[in-house]
Amino acid sequence: MYKWFLVWRYLHTKLIALFGTASVTLCVAMVLVVLSVMGGFLDTIRTRSRGLHSEIVLDGGSMQGFPYYEEFGAYVKRQLPEVVRLVTPTVYSYGVFRIPATAYTKPARVLGIRLEEYVQVNSLKEGLHYEHYYPGSTHFGKQAMPVAGFTEAGVLKLPPDLEAANAKWRAAEQDPHVLEQYDEAPYEIAQYPRVTASPGQRVYSVGFDGPRYAGAERYGIVVGADLLYERRKTDGSFERYLARGAEVALTLMPLSQSGNVTGEPPVRIPLRYVDDSRTGIFEIDSLSVYVDFAMVQQKLGMDAQPLIDGSFSKPRANQILIGLNEGVDLNAAQKAISDEWSAFLGTLGMDLTLTDQQSLSYVQVYTWEDLQKHFINAVEKEKVLMLIILGIICLVAIALVGLIFFMIVEKKTRDIGILKALGASGRGVAALFMGYAGMVGITGAILGTIVGSLFVWNINDIQEALAWINPQLRVWTPDVYSFDRIPEAVKLADAIWVASVAVVASVIGSVVPAFLAGRVWPVDALRYE
Amino acid sequence: MLHAQGINKSYTMGSSEVRVLRGASLQAQEGEFLVIVGASGSGKSTLLHILGALDIPDRGTVKFEGQDLFQQSNGFRERYRNERVGFVFQFYHLLPELSVLENVVLPRLITHSGLAWWGARREARRDAEEMLERVGLQHRVRHRPRELSGGERQRVAVARALLNRPSLLLADEPTGNLDEKIGGDLLDLLVELNRDGQTIVMVTHDPKVASRAHRRVTLTAGVLRNVLD
Repeated sequence: MYKWFLVWRYLHTKLIALFGTASVTLCVAMVLVVLSVMGGFLDTIRTRSRGLHSEIVLDGGSMQGFPYYEEFGAYVKRQLPEVVRLVTPTVYSYGVFRIPATAYTKPARVLGIRLEEYVQVNSLKEGLHYEHYYPGSTHFGKQAMPVAGFTEAGVLKLPPDLEAANAKWRAAEQDPHVLEQYDEAPYEIAQYPRVTASPGQRVYSVGFDGPRYAGAERYGIVVGADLLYERRKTDGSFERYLARGAEVALTLMPLSQSGNVTGEPPVRIPLRYVDDSRTGIFEIDSLSVYVDFAMVQQKLGMDAQPLIDGSFSKPRANQILIGLNEGVDLNAAQKAISDEWSAFLGTLGMDLTLTDQQSLSYVQVYTWEDLQKHFINAVEKEKVLMLIILGIICLVAIALVGLIFFMIVEKKTRDIGILKALGASGRGVAALFMGYAGMVGITGAILGTIVGSLFVWNINDIQEALAWINPQLRVWTPDVYSFDRIPEAVKLADAIWVASVAVVASVIGSVVPAFLAGRVWPVDALRYE
Repeated sequence: MLHAQGINKSYTMGSSEVRVLRGASLQAQEGEFLVIVGASGSGKSTLLHILGALDIPDRGTVKFEGQDLFQQSNGFRERYRNERVGFVFQFYHLLPELSVLENVVLPRLITHSGLAWWGARREARRDAEEMLERVGLQHRVRHRPRELSGGERQRVAVARALLNRPSLLLADEPTGNLDEKIGGDLLDLLVELNRDGQTIVMVTHDPKVASRAHRRVTLTAGVLRNVLD
């Protein structure tokens, strides 16, 4: 019993134990912070990556796309009804995005999607800003610009359909705080109605003729949040300048079926900005725009084109996104769909053109994990590398604990002699010092877990505080790390794992000095001064 | 009770060997107050350490109640030190982190493992308080050793040595670090304990202190000789 009694007493009274505890605390906190941030980063990448695509993607691998996407969609749904939930094609290309009134011009990755289907295979909808407050109002169809105006009662209102959509959101919103915030500024009024607005969350043009729609009808476009806005607030939200429905333009370069530039001048498409999207991945949000599939397919010349023999070519898409039924194994589905793709190609017979044959041969079946593998693997490797480096630092901490215990044993040699003179065994004395190290480890692990968790939970605020002192101290920038906020969650399993390793490491660090303490000859210890 | 026969012990100091004990023999009877006297460095403490199984002789035997200490296991010698013999050292050797009461209770904490301690803790505390009362320190139980005078510390050491009611008390110059008055008081305490039946073997170089014992032996040139009054 004396072992635990003395461990407890030494822990309270020995200043030197504080150094051991402090080193374990710092080690645990450091590992926990890195593990949580890197782990959170990896989890976010996984979650976001999954939300970017569908579970399965058939990619044409080439910008000119591949035909028979519609036929394969119907075929695979028929063949694998228990696996496939939804199939939707996409077209992608690159173009120039422009806000004509301000001459703001950016390169853009253009995604032609069927919005209603697309949002069912991934999480794009969750990142649509106006769609959140005005559900059902974001669409790619031809539309004019909504203009807020004063009703006969003198109240500023949006057109009735938007007010109705907003009422639907209000009815569904459970959090009174959110409603309160919304009511403080229901929508900002655009200063220059056609183009820019006062910075705010929901920006609409305002007129004097009552709520209405104004201007020519244009197809809608959803723009990546970082592509549209320069002003990203520190809490991760955006201040919008462009009024909803403002006119923007997209310029595309059509390719022929064989992948050549057609020789036609680039296609300029006037569009209306209907919403902005935030996936949370900077590379995507700073580059992507989403437009209607059929419209962009036609503008890019990927729809059915007349051929010399009077017939028409097959329309082309760049990808087929497949959403799976709940509970379906991803890899098994990939294999099954891959097999069906091969079988489907077999059904097409011999009447395919050479170009069709070539473009179909490029098609590969990917899972969402495959598509993000290079990114996920890189982060995973980075995480492992960091853990190795931290492991080395922890070895130093073990060595430090060992050193501290050598000093403690040295300092306590006389006490060891006293204990042995009173009948304590060598094993008991060794256990006393190992128990002491264990308690130092437990105390350090608990403190380290608390310190590390507090640090992680407040890591974004800490960064803001550092950046306030000196902007150079901002270490996490969205364009480097993809995400606008540092992951700030601590997993219980990580905390337990790190704390346990720290305790074991502390005990290991004390083994040699404890063993030597056990071997101290009592009479030598009593003579020790 | 205690029978040491032909004890030899030498130490290596640098390249030379110092023979401290050269066949020292000694016998202590139950209830006896035996003093070993000798000059400083004559090997008195070494002999006492061997009698208490704190050190091992190069040659010779130490029998306690018929059992040769150095023919037994380590565990036996640990139990011997814990239960059968009590030590009082010149420099008190109290643990500075513990209170007076905790220092006194320490041998009982060593006796019992975790679970057994829960059953024995009340009795241990009672015994410790009783011992402290006996040495006149019942009012100092919560104090730390550093808050006590030298004489008080030595009394705590005596209380600790006697907690497990050992058959034999070994005292190594217990008054060596105390002034005459305090040392005299402590000696009175030892004499009183002896009168109550406690066997004591004490080492001293002070003839005055030695004169209080029943019997004196002197250690000269590594050999013990009886001193006749």
